[in-house]
Amino acid sequence: MSSLPVVVMDNGTGYTKLGFSGNSEPSYVFPTAISTHESPSASGAPSVASKPSYLSSNLASKRGIEDLDFYIGNEALASSKTMAVHNPIRHGQIENWDHMERFWEQSIFKYLRCEPEDHHFMLTEPPLNPPENREMTAEIMFETFNVQGLYIAVQAVLALAASWTSKKVNEQTLTGTVIDSGAGVTHVIPVAEGYVIGSSIKSIPIAGRDISKYVQQLLRERGETGIPPEDSLFVAESIKEQYSYVCPDIVKEFKKYDQEPDKYFKKYEGIHSVTGKVGATKLDYIYPGGIFAKLDFFLKPYSVDVGFERFLAPEIFFNPEIASSDFLTPLPEVVDNVIQSSPIDTRRGLYKNIVLSGGSTMYKDFDKRLQRDIKRTVDYRVKASEDLSGGVMKAKPIEVNVISHKKQRHAVWFGGSLLASTPEFYSYCHTKAEYDEYGPSICRHNRVFGSVM
Amino acid sequence: MSNTLRPYLTAVRSTLTAALCVENFSSQVVERHNKPEIEAQTSKEVIMNPLTISRNENEQVLIETSVNSVRISIKIKQADDIETILCHKFSRFMMMRADNFVILRRKPMDGFDISFLITNHHTEQMYKHKLVDFIVHFMEAVDKEISEMKLSVNKRARTVAESYLGEASRLFYKGY
Amino acid sequence: MILLDYHNVILQDTLSARFESEKPESLDMTIVDFDGVLYHLSTPESKTKIQVSFKWGCFSELINYGANDILQREYSDMLVSPPQDGFDATLALDLESLPQDKDARDAIIRKISLIKRNILAAPFERAFKEQEQLEDEKQANPTPELMAVHYREDEAIYVKASQDRVTVIFSTRFKDETDRVFGKVFLQEFVDARKRQDLQNAPPVHFSTREPPLELRHLDLKDSEEMSYITFVLFPRHFASLDVREETISRIQIFRDYLHYHIKCAKAYMHTRMRARVRDFLKVLNRAKPENANVEKKTATGRTFRRS
Repeated sequence: MSSLPVVVMDNGTGYTKLGFSGNSEPSYVFPTAISTHESPSASGAPSVASKPSYLSSNLASKRGIEDLDFYIGNEALASSKTMAVHNPIRHGQIENWDHMERFWEQSIFKYLRCEPEDHHFMLTEPPLNPPENREMTAEIMFETFNVQGLYIAVQAVLALAASWTSKKVNEQTLTGTVIDSGAGVTHVIPVAEGYVIGSSIKSIPIAGRDISKYVQQLLRERGETGIPPEDSLFVAESIKEQYSYVCPDIVKEFKKYDQEPDKYFKKYEGIHSVTGKVGATKLDYIYPGGIFAKLDFFLKPYSVDVGFERFLAPEIFFNPEIASSDFLTPLPEVVDNVIQSSPIDTRRGLYKNIVLSGGSTMYKDFDKRLQRDIKRTVDYRVKASEDLSGGVMKAKPIEVNVISHKKQRHAVWFGGSLLASTPEFYSYCHTKAEYDEYGPSICRHNRVFGSVM
Repeated sequence: MSNTLRPYLTAVRSTLTAALCVENFSSQVVERHNKPEIEAQTSKEVIMNPLTISRNENEQVLIETSVNSVRISIKIKQADDIETILCHKFSRFMMMRADNFVILRRKPMDGFDISFLITNHHTEQMYKHKLVDFIVHFMEAVDKEISEMKLSVNKRARTVAESYLGEASRLFYKGY
Repeated sequence: MILLDYHNVILQDTLSARFESEKPESLDMTIVDFDGVLYHLSTPESKTKIQVSFKWGCFSELINYGANDILQREYSDMLVSPPQDGFDATLALDLESLPQDKDARDAIIRKISLIKRNILAAPFERAFKEQEQLEDEKQANPTPELMAVHYREDEAIYVKASQDRVTVIFSTRFKDETDRVFGKVFLQEFVDARKRQDLQNAPPVHFSTREPPLELRHLDLKDSEEMSYITFVLFPRHFASLDVREETISRIQIFRDYLHYHIKCAKAYMHTRMRARVRDFLKVLNRAKPENANVEKKTATGRTFRRS
């Protein structure tokens, strides 16, 4: 039955992407959330197993299957009124294995509808994931689900692989710098020949959620009174997603808006939650703290002017001082620093292949601006060193390429799907037989590189 | 606690307390080596007679003592297939986490389900009586845990079977 | 979630998303269902024409038992012939010619997402029909054939009609030692569950490990420790009326996956328990470690000093 596709699961802090190899998009994208009947405080330090912390008054507890009473993903958020919602993954790493195991259980049997014994699995892990976590994952996958084979790939490496679909890439290399920006945090990760250079990874506390908050703040300061306070963040998010782009120069952009306001100012048509109800709907909603909720909205149309925030929103990557007071290094500089701190023989490759991944890198012209800014720094440095040598030495110009591609939003998942559909994938997998023979420690070894990781 | 369990555990406790009289001891065979003698088995004179405390055939504790280390091997009660599997899974699960359990041996001795190795380093850093407490607590809890797990599997299986057949039968009523 | 769904959720969700969206997009997706079923969704001609292709290893067997009739009956207007290359059956949908009515659309989606179930229903429907004929002794009795569906590698469903009953036998293989033991406990409960008063009407269940039941003795099956056989005996009351019959077929089909799903859930639950127990043991063990004796002590004025 090895002809069946590989199951690719990318469990991120915010969202989980599920699907089968060979597809260009995940079949499911839903929040990595699970709702149970436990009280949230119990999840941190559950009591001893003799009294599992499930509510004893619950009917199911008499039947010995109380642990099946849970929801995941959007259904979990929908049940947040009656159940406790947990996020089993924090900062990219699995924190609560009990919840994660059940999360996988339902992902596989309810959503993917596959018998795990028939499939190989590809999972992802964040860079610098401790090997113990990988062993725990293997333990669950092999012992509980009896999967045929398992491969755990580093997210950044998969993002690199995903960029092979871009037209700008003409050789398939696993060397490059990955800029991964999701909802919570942005990472800059240098990868050389498939190895993550752990010591040089930098993270930036600016990501999707901060941009939304910044847009919200701009709207508030301008006095957009039409927006009801309770959904102002939602409006800000929509405006960010629909209208934002990256401009080459803020000053010029301001001028353009002043001269031709009609051309640049947009109007956002929203629906309102006041008592004059037109209809009611439920919307997924993520609070800034990462708490998920399902809110009831009563709809009434209203409109908001969208102006400078169109280009100011993503600008906080390039000029963080406009929104943040404690983090002041612009993204291009961070990227440059990361590459400069990597081993010298990898630097050219890292500059040549800067790959974007994640939803917050989707702004129009984000790649062009980033490339220009990095190029500027690099050229300046090269010129300075040439000048220092008194014009005797001529350096070979350093190529800087920022690669943007269509699959960027789910780049990690897509990279996984791509790699898992190659015939070699099966030879890289750890199989059930090997697990039974050697135990979870096999996962410390990665056969792609033929070394102990 | 059943009436044979208490004397059994008391015997283990007293024996262990006596056995845990270990001290630092360098190898007599290899210069500058300092190994748990009970594992190294290099010189006979530092190894005491092993001692087995047995409640019945299926529940035994083997205590092997040497000058600087004590090895405790436990046979856990396994009445049927399911208990065997659960016991095997549980001991494996623990041994996988032996790093945290400091005194847990990564492999059980032949014929036993789980083994502990306490050396003089452990007794120097930890309270001896509390270590004994732990072993006794473990023996007590592990039996309970396995029988509870078995119960819960059975209970679960019943519910699963009933809900599969049950709702179907409700439909059959309707159609009948 | 105790019971598994009968329909394929991805098929359902993908189709309803396409039905509702105003802008048609091209589609090329391969998904699976339990027991090695493969679906391929594509838009080969134009973005509004969706093709759903279906592939299953045991399809040729099912054809012998009348799967084509069912396909014709359920999907007549959607069926494409010949099916897409490498697949067993293909359905086509035109987004532009969908009914406007929401219920009608949902019915289409539901029908498509149940395709695996409907195809596998073939031997069951046939057996039910044969049983009716057998019961009616005036007619010429057909000789009921033992219908075998090898729906998985090494695993099969056997369906046989006889005068007063239809016997369904599953053979299932537990690759893992743990699964086998758990499986035995679960199966025993299936047998015992019927003893309960309110479950008297459920079909009787028998199971045996290793040894195939009487009906299969002549088949010369591979003898293996890993195999288990589960027999369901369906009486006419289990398929008398249409909705009961449909439910019985759906329920019986999902049996194998249901069993294996719950074995895995049980193992997951064991893991949860063991994790909690290990935490408890560690807590007890850590009590043996003395508290850090060199805590810094401060005088009333906030100065510190070292005691030795």
